[in-house]
Amino acid sequence: MKTLLHMQGLTKQYGKEKAVDSLTFSLLKNTSTALIGPNGAGKTTTLSMLAGLLKQTSGTIVFDGEVTEDIRKVIGFLPQYPKFYSWLTALEFTEMAAKLSGVDPKIAKQEAVKTLEFVGLADVKNKKTGTFSGGMKQRLGLAQAIVHKPALLLLDEPVSALDPIGRREIMNLLKELQETTTILYSTHILNDAEEMTDQLVFLRKGKLVEQGSMQQVREKYANPMYKIYFISTEEAAKFVEISPWPARQENSIAFIHLEEEKPVMNEVLRVLADSHLSLLKVERATASLEEIFLQVVNKGE
Amino acid sequence: MNNFSVLFQKEWRENVRNFKILWIPLVFLLFGITEPLTNYYLPQILNAVGNMPEGTVFPFPEFTPEQIVMATVSQYQFIGMLVITLGFAGIISRERKNGNATFLYVRPISYASYVYSKFSMMCILVIGSIILGLLANLYYTNVLFGSVDIGAFIGFLGTYIVWLLFVVSVVLFSSAAFSTAIASVVSLALVLFFQFIDALLGAYWTISPWKIPMYAGYVLSGSVDKTPFTWSLVITLLLIVLLIFGAVYFAKRNISKTKI
Repeated sequence: MKTLLHMQGLTKQYGKEKAVDSLTFSLLKNTSTALIGPNGAGKTTTLSMLAGLLKQTSGTIVFDGEVTEDIRKVIGFLPQYPKFYSWLTALEFTEMAAKLSGVDPKIAKQEAVKTLEFVGLADVKNKKTGTFSGGMKQRLGLAQAIVHKPALLLLDEPVSALDPIGRREIMNLLKELQETTTILYSTHILNDAEEMTDQLVFLRKGKLVEQGSMQQVREKYANPMYKIYFISTEEAAKFVEISPWPARQENSIAFIHLEEEKPVMNEVLRVLADSHLSLLKVERATASLEEIFLQVVNKGE
Repeated sequence: MNNFSVLFQKEWRENVRNFKILWIPLVFLLFGITEPLTNYYLPQILNAVGNMPEGTVFPFPEFTPEQIVMATVSQYQFIGMLVITLGFAGIISRERKNGNATFLYVRPISYASYVYSKFSMMCILVIGSIILGLLANLYYTNVLFGSVDIGAFIGFLGTYIVWLLFVVSVVLFSSAAFSTAIASVVSLALVLFFQFIDALLGAYWTISPWKIPMYAGYVLSGSVDKTPFTWSLVITLLLIVLLIFGAVYFAKRNISKTKI
């Protein structure tokens, strides 16, 4: 697959503090990448540098094989807290955005109407943006970012401020856009990235700490284990004592972590059967996304 | 010019929808009309409400029409300039502060067009309002005090417009370079405070942008000294060009101060 954007050693320094520290990664054409990290990890700074709002201290950004000074022509950007001119209507605003991004003025209005329909704002297109709710603003923010059909879409926390319904809707829109657009977005919620992300880039204190597809990251940090549910805390404690494998206990649940797929379930069951303890359930589990997130961003602390 | 018309349309819509296009002309119209009216009717007003003992006679000075026009200009020079500097101090800085500008700055706009669109809108509002106010003033002066020489009036208006362009450029430059609060202080200092200094100590020099309003008055009364007047105009026009280039430069340099 073709590389659309490559950044090499991207660094932004404020005084002695490095907000972003020699970041190197690539975006493949028509794929989506999530920048994941806790608050203050440098996600917004990275996106701002790519959008041309901040000048990097050092490092290069190569777009489509060329070192580009002004990539503003080919990007769409959605800030974390989009602010609009409250005295413009949604349609006027989107039309202005289209024209300023170089859409032929003759078809700008038409494109704006189409885009507003796509993001689900067709009913309110003639309302002033000052009256919009948070979810509507996020949609309008998305509309202005995609109205000129940019090759690269940069989104800063596109769903973090939304309720679960709005979150799902925006994610669905992004999934649809992904077929024709390269998307880079930041989030601090790994679950949001689960469905539609080809590449995950984890940042901590400005540094890249992990990178790969969701599957690769899951496998690496899955940390498989058996969760054994007992009827009471005492029973679980007894099991931990007699277990031939290292085990730990949380209330009435005992955990055995697998090492290189050992022990196998049959052995565990045999031990349990011999123990005559009151068992409720045995399952094989992997780390949840939240646990993976914490593991990755706390790596090397 | 790249994107100018789109950006200008945005400025226009803003100023129409926040009613600046209505209240700024009204302010200048009001001051333009009250000056000749109050001067003319002052004796009657005092007679009616002044509670004077019977038979009191006040020797009221006889104003020439030119003096009435210049009295209006001195009102504009204080209250009018306050309205302009404070009313427009945030014209660029506020867009940066509240994050609106992000949408402009991530697009391939030319910063020159951005600044020119603001400059044009300010010029239309400020110069338009003052011309409107002065024409109303001229009408009442004509009716109540006698006619003003039209040639001299046009010369005066042209000169005064150069001063207004200077004021507009100062405000625009400050707003591009500083935050709204600092921009207000800087443009107030450059417009009002320097004018005051120039009036106090200005006897030592004759060429200065802050003397332009005074020279405009001399043009009106037909007693202007050509050499310092011309040089002041040249210096002021040069400063205007520099300030606008400076505004474009700072608008671009301060992108990183935009709230994201």
